[in-house]
Amino acid sequence: MRPFSADASFLAGAAGAFVPELTLRVADTLARLRQARDVTVGCSAKRAVWSFGKTTLFEYLPLREAARDAPQRSAARPLLICFALVNRPYVLDLQPDRSLVRRLLDAGLSVYLIDWGDPDDADRCLDLEDYVERHLGGCVRHILVSRGTSSLDLLGVCQGGVLSLCYTALHRREVANLVTLTTPVDFHTPDNLLSKWVRELDTELLRQSGNVPGEALNGLFLALMPFRLTQQKYVRLLAGNSDQRALEDFVRMERWIFDSPPQAAVALAEFIRWFYQENRLIRGTLRIGGKRVDLAAIVQPVLNLYALGDHIVPPAASAAMERCLGSRDYTGCGIDTGHIGMYASRKGADEIPSRIISWLRKRP
Amino acid sequence: MQNPFMSAAFKPDLAFTGAAERFFELLKSFSLPGAGAAGAAPDWSTLAGSLAGQFEQWLKSSQSAGPWFTAASAPGSGAGFGAAASSFGPLPLGAGAAPQQDAQRSWDLVARLAQLQAQLASYWSEIAHDAAQRFVTRMGAAAGGAPTLDGALKLYELWVNCAEESYAATVRKEEFCRLQAQLANASAALLVEQRRHAETLVRAFGLPSRNEVDALYAQLKELRTQLAELTEARRAKPRPATAPARDRRSRRARKPRA
Repeated sequence: MRPFSADASFLAGAAGAFVPELTLRVADTLARLRQARDVTVGCSAKRAVWSFGKTTLFEYLPLREAARDAPQRSAARPLLICFALVNRPYVLDLQPDRSLVRRLLDAGLSVYLIDWGDPDDADRCLDLEDYVERHLGGCVRHILVSRGTSSLDLLGVCQGGVLSLCYTALHRREVANLVTLTTPVDFHTPDNLLSKWVRELDTELLRQSGNVPGEALNGLFLALMPFRLTQQKYVRLLAGNSDQRALEDFVRMERWIFDSPPQAAVALAEFIRWFYQENRLIRGTLRIGGKRVDLAAIVQPVLNLYALGDHIVPPAASAAMERCLGSRDYTGCGIDTGHIGMYASRKGADEIPSRIISWLRKRP
Repeated sequence: MQNPFMSAAFKPDLAFTGAAERFFELLKSFSLPGAGAAGAAPDWSTLAGSLAGQFEQWLKSSQSAGPWFTAASAPGSGAGFGAAASSFGPLPLGAGAAPQQDAQRSWDLVARLAQLQAQLASYWSEIAHDAAQRFVTRMGAAAGGAPTLDGALKLYELWVNCAEESYAATVRKEEFCRLQAQLANASAALLVEQRRHAETLVRAFGLPSRNEVDALYAQLKELRTQLAELTEARRAKPRPATAPARDRRSRRARKPRA
């Protein structure tokens, strides 16, 4: 690691008056960042209950206090969280005071989570049908059989919300209530930069190129706002109001942001082509495993939470869901935060679980 | 200078150091003679020129559109199609090892990539100059007063806002989006082409090719799926009613002893 050295010679006279203070802050922040480097992520106890390929289904263990207060938990309908393929799901359980999972457990819910794992070259031919029908579907069926229940609640996050919508449309009876977080439905809204960029990608070449490294996708996401996401957020640490705990929170998020799994070539190519390029979901032309995915077939209650400042899934892309569903019990709600803020900010950590819990409680 | 595009791994201290260095560079521009820092009448064009130059350099070096699109021309950038393409490195697996016609295709793709990169650079220049112009225009109101760290941080925020606005205005243009897609496509095509050469070599040594391995995986996947379906069907099938304990005991009792 090379040392930081500020060349302050250029800032002569009054203009350079603050340079010693700034240099001290840089050195102090750097030392504290290094201290915080080994922060742990993920806080709630869980156990693997099923796996298929690289996918693992985890069941979170109930919190002691919640189990005491809600002894009927085992009889409650299970809640399955389906996260995106492009990021790790532990952001939903990052640390005790910022954990959607913990809040759900605290409310006495029985929580399961899908971890898609790291696809390798053996998985390059995995397609969306595999993910929806066999991986997500396998998780659903395992839970239903092991819990002896006929339906569960499904919580889909971002791309996982898209997969959840597909699954719910195809398997209506197995999903009682659907909750979606930052989930796009209309991929062609004018403010969707990601969609504009990939519109003319050759997906056949992408398929042939093999799995896409996580770093490549990460670079793509960072490139949507490169100065804020690769420069400003670090310089802001110099503002002088971040204690060590805040810095550790920052490092946890950094760890998550840069911990992206590789993407199975065929599934990614299909996702780009079918959703981003051809907008099949909202057009009603999407077929998975030969079956048409008709959003109008989703008649169960749906809670759709999206971020008003989302640069990856613009609010309009998600709010469009209301027009397409067959459900008469649709609740859409824009939260005043950004994409990642939905999972990890203080605001998101307070508001999102409360909304989900109270909404689910009204729909037993 | 390091930045997260070049080191897509988790290195917060390194990323912070890079950003802090950039911040210092920016302060250096602010205090250029003629930028008003020493109390002289501000010469905005000098400041804008310096900012634009620095910024353009950063955009080029950081490949701001990300490894996804542009890594092919940045050997060793660490990720993306380009990283994979360049990992084949020099001969004998590169274009030079292939039959002449195939080699020509590879060289054509490399030339195409270079051409697209040059086009991309013109956009970086446009973004940099527009951002500097925006900044100088808005800075007029913010300038003046004793320089403080808080003041410098506020100027930095203003600069980032201008940079993001200029960037957003350019990268949303249809022609820029098309260029990005063309770069990604050319990069992927080069990778596919190089893999094809590698496959030729692999076959010559009697080793299984990528397609053959994929076919095996496909078969394995099919078998695994069938097995999972059978297992699920078995689990879901209701078990026959359990016989009363007394019957079980009596059946056991009747079992002949060995």
